[in-house]
Amino acid sequence: MMDAGRHPLIEVITNAEVTGMSGGPGDFRVQVRKHPRYVDEEKCVACGQCVEACHIVQGNEFDYNLKARKAIYRPFPQSVPAAYVIDMDHCKKCWRCVKVCEPEAIDFDMPARDYEFEVGSIIIAAGFQEFDASALGNYGYARFPNVITSLELERMLNASGVTKGHIVRPSDQQTPRSILFIQCVGARGEGGRPYCSRFCCMNAVKDSLLIRQHDPEVEDITILYTDLRAFGKGFDDFVRRSFDEQSAHYLRGRPSKIEEEPGSQNLTVFVEDTLEHQLKRVPADLVVLSLAAAPSDGAQALAAMLEVGTDQYGFIARRDPAVSAVETARDGIYVCGSAAGPQVIPDCVAQASAAAARAQMFLTGSRSADEKQEVEPLDLSGSPRVGVLVCHCGINISGVLDIDDLTASAAQIDGVVVAAEHQFACSSVGQDKLIELVKEHRLNRVVVAACTPRTHEPVFQETLSGIGFNPYLLEMVNIRDQCSWVHATQPQEAQQKARTLIRMGVARAKNLKPLMEGKSPMTRAALVIGGGIAGIQAATDLAWQGFPVVLVEKTGELGGRLRAPNLKYLYPTMQPAEKVLKQKLMRLKDSGARVLLNSEVEDITGYVGNFEATLSGAVDEKIQIGAVILATGADLYDPAGEFGYGRLTGVITSEELEQRLCHKPAAVQVNGAPPRSAAIILCVGSRDEECFSGCSRYCCPTGIKQAILLSEQGSDVTVFYRDIRTVSIGAEEMYRKARGLGVLFVRIPDGRKPEVLGTEKVTGVRCYDALLDRTLEVEADLLVLGVGMRPLEPETSKFHDILKASLGLDGFFLERHPELAPVETSVEGVLIAGTVQGPKDIVDTVAQASAAAAKATVFLAHDQVRLNPTVAVVDAEKCRGCGCCAEICQFQAPKLVDDGSGVFIAEINASLCKGCGTCASWCPSGAISAQHFTDRQVHAMIDAFFETEAAR
Amino acid sequence: MTKAKTTITDQPVTATGTETWQPRILVFACNWCSYAGADTAGVGRMEHEPHFRMIRVMCSGRIQPAFVLKAFEKGADGVLVSGCHFGDCHYIFGNERAVEQFDKTMNMVKLLGIEPGRLRLEWISAAEGIRFAEIINEFTEQVRQLGPSPLSSKRLDDLRIEEEIDG
Ligand SMILES: Cc1cc2nc3c(=O)[nH]c(=O)nc-3n(C[C@H](O)[C@H](O)[C@H](O)COP(=O)(O)OP(=O)(O)OC[C@H]3O[C@@H](n4cnc5c(N)ncnc54)[C@H](O)[C@@H]3O)c2cc1C
Ligand code: SF4
Ligand code: SF4
Ligand code: FES
Repeated sequence: MMDAGRHPLIEVITNAEVTGMSGGPGDFRVQVRKHPRYVDEEKCVACGQCVEACHIVQGNEFDYNLKARKAIYRPFPQSVPAAYVIDMDHCKKCWRCVKVCEPEAIDFDMPARDYEFEVGSIIIAAGFQEFDASALGNYGYARFPNVITSLELERMLNASGVTKGHIVRPSDQQTPRSILFIQCVGARGEGGRPYCSRFCCMNAVKDSLLIRQHDPEVEDITILYTDLRAFGKGFDDFVRRSFDEQSAHYLRGRPSKIEEEPGSQNLTVFVEDTLEHQLKRVPADLVVLSLAAAPSDGAQALAAMLEVGTDQYGFIARRDPAVSAVETARDGIYVCGSAAGPQVIPDCVAQASAAAARAQMFLTGSRSADEKQEVEPLDLSGSPRVGVLVCHCGINISGVLDIDDLTASAAQIDGVVVAAEHQFACSSVGQDKLIELVKEHRLNRVVVAACTPRTHEPVFQETLSGIGFNPYLLEMVNIRDQCSWVHATQPQEAQQKARTLIRMGVARAKNLKPLMEGKSPMTRAALVIGGGIAGIQAATDLAWQGFPVVLVEKTGELGGRLRAPNLKYLYPTMQPAEKVLKQKLMRLKDSGARVLLNSEVEDITGYVGNFEATLSGAVDEKIQIGAVILATGADLYDPAGEFGYGRLTGVITSEELEQRLCHKPAAVQVNGAPPRSAAIILCVGSRDEECFSGCSRYCCPTGIKQAILLSEQGSDVTVFYRDIRTVSIGAEEMYRKARGLGVLFVRIPDGRKPEVLGTEKVTGVRCYDALLDRTLEVEADLLVLGVGMRPLEPETSKFHDILKASLGLDGFFLERHPELAPVETSVEGVLIAGTVQGPKDIVDTVAQASAAAAKATVFLAHDQVRLNPTVAVVDAEKCRGCGCCAEICQFQAPKLVDDGSGVFIAEINASLCKGCGTCASWCPSGAISAQHFTDRQVHAMIDAFFETEAAR
Repeated sequence: MTKAKTTITDQPVTATGTETWQPRILVFACNWCSYAGADTAGVGRMEHEPHFRMIRVMCSGRIQPAFVLKAFEKGADGVLVSGCHFGDCHYIFGNERAVEQFDKTMNMVKLLGIEPGRLRLEWISAAEGIRFAEIINEFTEQVRQLGPSPLSSKRLDDLRIEEEIDG
């Protein structure tokens, strides 16, 4: 939000709505009405004086009325713009606020303003709203005060919220001893929406861990679930942690009713435990309803105005939900996030980038307008004048650490001229405060004690650069991720640690030197490796925007898993895979991307903007590119030796079934006849600590899709599953359809595996059925194993070696950040798309591929790459010309050169040096200094540590 | 808003004799893996021992003997050097150089009469928050068992007291 608010090319209009639209892709005209906020955003300094003056007290909608606000208020602490707004429905026009407002920002006569914008494309990101829980009578919502919704709980957990992150019962403001979460309220067909909301399972698990940490008085947390849908990357590990830490009891079942005890207002939930087959009464002080996501109120009207329509649920309709998560029925109008259906954050972020990539196709000439104006550098010479800004991060930091003590302690450090604190240092107000501190105290060094420099250093650096303050004179001290978050149970020790870390930071800051960024040219072309649906999409998006793209495919054909005979129909629409692929290939052809079949990438050298790739196969050439997109896909788990695979005839994998379906006539035969009975075992090679602990995401819906196909062919089908994770759009309905067709679903109990019967050919499957509490034996002439996805070898190792992009614990390529940077890798300019990053289905693959293309254009849109100045430099006076540095540097940056008098000394090429500093430590003469991580800086930090904390 | 109120004074914490002794550990971490691993531990709220302070460098290859020796000289009870797993170094082989530097450092540390258990080298990836927390806990405990470093003023003070008693 903050980034968007600060971006020179983004204009944020709040308190506004779209009132009309005309035109078409490339030249839409959009009418926008901005409702008056009665406070001039330009003038308001967000001092809050007006709030003090106002005497009208009102519930705050953002906090679900859990917290009071005044008639003049700021919706939430990090809001952009940081200006206040007046709620005219409650304002009594007493003018008290006007009197106290120094900048005279309040204007009661402010009119609504109408704007018209000419735009090339439109992105709808209007989100969702909670299902209305009062519609479901038996849950007691709105009748019993201690039944709350998950969003209300979220507000309580929010650090800067009403209760400062602590949980209280609405009836008596006491900490509840027991909390019960009820999942799937209003979702998956239970009296409400037919789909799964995707985020609620993980949210309840996360909340249970958070509550445990924040409120030790909460003794008991129970999660009442139907299936635990930990489908995303790393989600299953998270659930396992919750099991290990016993953050919650997990109870499988659905509640029948909730009763409230008069007086105490404690609740009792009646529930059938479907694992133990008992009717249980679960007492709870607080009940949290995990509510389904529903389309937002305005979705219908907005969809009508933009002429894109809504789907059967009322979300913004997509042209082809099985293939593209972002395309609406109209070219030039895209949708992302939960406006088109419930999503988890990593998927929202990927879709947002994907929508941006598509939107760019209709934009012309505006992108290069982003060259920053040069700002006059500030004079920062003289002895260090350090300013320290300590961030509360809501209560993320201040909930554990005493901020006043930290600023007081920092203020005493030699060289510190001011130490201040802020609620959210990274918010726009926080940044303004930083600027103010620099100017007011003529600072020439800044220390920000907040979160991790790995995510936030660039934010503060940019702010400082904006006023001409050299960004390399900033030091960040990590008192959140590495202190308050991990030492919450030992606040005294955490406090001491934070103080010392700040002292070490100040010590380093005093020794920092201003550095100047260089520039090197950007090759505005891209290489896409792998021609599956991911590679096709990424290449198409980039080529459409006019960037030269080379798409390299190892085999003789494009399409990856989609090419025949690998996949027959795609869930949930049951479109033929062939047809989808054909459409995609046509677009690729039109885009003008250069496709090389039967080719491979042998090597890649260089760095962002200046990569050189060596190609072999169809051509033997070296190409220059600025960015690389890796889309080599995934392999499938090999179940050899398990479940009779390879030993019994009639045991096949889901892929093999798909291949048989592709044959004409499309029938699956066993010994020349269609199978009378078939069984499908899911989670083979997934969710198993021994091979792959994660969920493969695509196998549940694929299994159900195949069950339907087999069932329609006349077979009796049984599906053995662990949790049914039909999270993609339409998949829940498919699950219901399968049950309607008579497909039997048997839950595999934890820690057990179904047993396969038969000697030469498979005859049946035996499994203990937890739901029926008996061992069940079903006949099966055909057994299909729903195999999980695994990293593709040797490609994964090969590209890991060549590119140095990090791998995750699961062996797939690791995204730089699951939510902030889902398609970037540890190497700048190297992006990942599709199943190379982890298992996923086609919609998610396509969205991720477009996201990767969008990220690539962030680089390719510029003629130059900024060169990092934190490189190694040689002091020619000290260098003895031994060449040790040239020998160890992996990037060939140092070279021995004749200094003109026949003496050889080392010189380091700044555009090749990556700044690891290894040579600085290696040089026997101490001639190399690693800029920004000099010996002097490190020694100063060590001194500061042991001076602050003498032996104890 | 500020919830916590602590009673620490601004004076450096010194041994009072009554409070239990806690080690002071310096951790060197590379930006891309082990520092990120420590952040991952934070994001996952994985509690661990708080008696270490961290210095971030870009690569473990930057960590030279002088840094470690300086820490011991100033009184560190333990030093942990950390970086990416082999094959994962952001700069390809920086961590292999780090091993060579570490071996040199270890020899010097032994020569100085410091127990080798006070110095450790560990590889921790960005994903391994749990591993980071475990290593910190384990190393802290190991150093705690070893007691104050022979070079720390605490140990010197204790020795002096013993001498006085002897004399
Ligand atoms: C049995 C089965 C059924 C499925 N059913 C569905 C369904 O109904 N609906 C759905 O949405 N999803 C389904 N999926 C999932 C879907 O197939 C994948 O999500 C999707 O195809 C992944 O696309 P991709 O581009 O990431 O990878 P791939 O399709 O695997 O493409 C990777 C490409 O890269 C090429 N390549 C590999 N290495 C190199 C190299 N070194 N150099 C150059 N090229 C290289 C490969 O040859 C291949 O063409 C199913 C999957 C399976 C296995
Ligand atoms: S290692 Fe040091 S002395 Fe040797 S060539 Fe490089 S800079 Fe010069
Ligand atoms: S700092 Fe690293 S990349 Fe730069 S010259 Fe030295 S060894 Fe090479
Ligand atoms: S970058 Fe981590 S060890 Fe080199």
